[in-house]
Amino acid sequence: MSVDAVPVLQVRDLRTYFNTLDGVVRAVDGVTFDVGRGETLGIVGESGCGKSVTALSILRLIPPETGRIVGGSIRFDGRELVGLDEAEMKSLRGHRISMIFQEPMTSLNPVLTVGTQIAENVVRHLGVSWRQGLDRAREMLELVRIADAARRLDEYPHQLSGGMRQRVMIAIALSCEPRVLIADEPTTALDVTIQAQILDLMLELKEKLGTAIVLITHDLGVIAETAERVVVMYAGRKVEEASVSSLFAQPMHPYTRGLMRAIPRLDIEADTAGRRPRLQEIPGLVPILTRPIPGCAFADRCGFATDRCRAERPPSVEVRPGHEVACWETARVAEAA
Amino acid sequence: MTAYIVRRLFATLPVMAVVAVFVFFLVRFAPGDPAAIIAGEDATADAIAAVRAKLGLDRPMLEQFVIWTLHLLQGDLGVSIFSDLPVSRLIEQRLEPTVALTFSTLFVAVALAIPIGVIAAWKARKLVDRLAMAFAVLGFAMPVFVLAYVLIWLFSVKWGVLPVQGYSPISQGLWPFLEKLILPSVALGVTYMALIARITRASMLEVLAQDYIRTANSKGLATDRVLLLHALKNAAVPIVTVIGIGIALLISGVVITETVFNIPGLGRLTVDAVLKRDYPIVQGLILVFAAGKVLVNLAIDISYAFLDPRIRY
Repeated sequence: MSVDAVPVLQVRDLRTYFNTLDGVVRAVDGVTFDVGRGETLGIVGESGCGKSVTALSILRLIPPETGRIVGGSIRFDGRELVGLDEAEMKSLRGHRISMIFQEPMTSLNPVLTVGTQIAENVVRHLGVSWRQGLDRAREMLELVRIADAARRLDEYPHQLSGGMRQRVMIAIALSCEPRVLIADEPTTALDVTIQAQILDLMLELKEKLGTAIVLITHDLGVIAETAERVVVMYAGRKVEEASVSSLFAQPMHPYTRGLMRAIPRLDIEADTAGRRPRLQEIPGLVPILTRPIPGCAFADRCGFATDRCRAERPPSVEVRPGHEVACWETARVAEAA
Repeated sequence: MTAYIVRRLFATLPVMAVVAVFVFFLVRFAPGDPAAIIAGEDATADAIAAVRAKLGLDRPMLEQFVIWTLHLLQGDLGVSIFSDLPVSRLIEQRLEPTVALTFSTLFVAVALAIPIGVIAAWKARKLVDRLAMAFAVLGFAMPVFVLAYVLIWLFSVKWGVLPVQGYSPISQGLWPFLEKLILPSVALGVTYMALIARITRASMLEVLAQDYIRTANSKGLATDRVLLLHALKNAAVPIVTVIGIGIALLISGVVITETVFNIPGLGRLTVDAVLKRDYPIVQGLILVFAAGKVLVNLAIDISYAFLDPRIRY
């Protein structure tokens, strides 16, 4: 295996639990995936499926008073991050692995200038002077195409629009040219035209800097446009993983199929009576994560479920090259398509 | 900003006018008569009346008020009934100890409270936090005069490391000046420290839960930078507000502390003047306190703009 083929990030059987008043929530319950160098991996799933917790776990930013990584392994460049001491973790954060968050309106510090917030990251990790840090900050603002960068350095977040703030977040995250950028719903809070601009910008900079991106979203549309490979998560577990083309051409897990059917489509003509087919939702509710789920987490909502599905957890199996699915009834599901 | 400050300074004039009217009539409606005190216990009614006439207290109250106000507008606070000294000079003489005590107390309180509050918030619900907050409650509950005598007993009587009481002006050397301020500042500062520490903790806890703190952590910044720059600057507005309110509380605290530690400051002057019904002094002092309070409020309001760029005047 050549050096290039070694994934930059390897997550194995990651389990992150939270202690709540209702009991232990298994927010991430055995998730495995790899991120190749310079690759864009999408993680998709609905709210509460554990995708954000997965991201925070990789950076080891789970608040220790509520949650913790109880098992599994996260390897970055071959180095184990689970159990790595905090000082070393701090030197990786913002430097080798960085993150941008969903809410650009609240993710920047309101009382510090944009320049300070970018420069401090550069100064912290690259050991340059403050002046050089600010120069780098101006460069980064130009790179994320903020006009009049030199003036913007002295501005505060409230003087910028939502789209601009997210550009600033990207500038911060990429200021030390990280190997991995984790983007947690980076465009969800933005309006659609800005969303496209931000995604394009991220992809362009990824090409330029060779950064791998883990893009977390609930929006299959964003995945289709941006990612190369996708992990579908449900109730803290990975249910399917495939290349984007394979997943959209032939989704294998009943949950993935449900998600696809739940996308509103504008290309379906209304019938003669002027009706369009009803949007199909997935029946039932997400399981309660404080109760251990012995079988498949989706079994209760699944039309294909058998007794085995409810009793035994299905392993993730490669059904086609590069296409994995965790389902006992793959054959029946495939036939039904 | 300058325009705002000038506007605010002008706005203090009506406040001061109201204070002036209020204090003038309040001291006169209070029971007690300075003429009777001067004339002595066995004085006849005639003798008292004579003293009253000499002091001008027999004139109609409104007339007295007009005379006082006219003098006041020329910057003249009047003359003490008892000592015949100008009130402004009396206040000037007593100003240094009080200002010194106020600032040293403020320094003690803030220098202890902010680190305690920040650490308590950072280690919220852990042992350090519980100890810090227990200390804060205890400090807040402890009356100044009790703590003052305990401190004097320990540090002055038992160990003999600090002077029992008194005051030494700064012009007579820095150490004698500081040495005599330490115990009064600690005694007065502890209550106040407890208040600021609790507010600091509460304000920091709220800020530490914000998204931008998670962002700061995701950058791998050092803990002290996250706490002291990213969090504390955001938490500062309520803290500074409480410090300002505290300065007002301090003024009343100073009266007791000055008495216990025998410091010749404004607090003692106030108590003495009130007991003797020395109207001009009481009036002058209240005006000075009010002006001080108004200026502190202004300073606090201006500081907001420096702490939070979203606030503009």
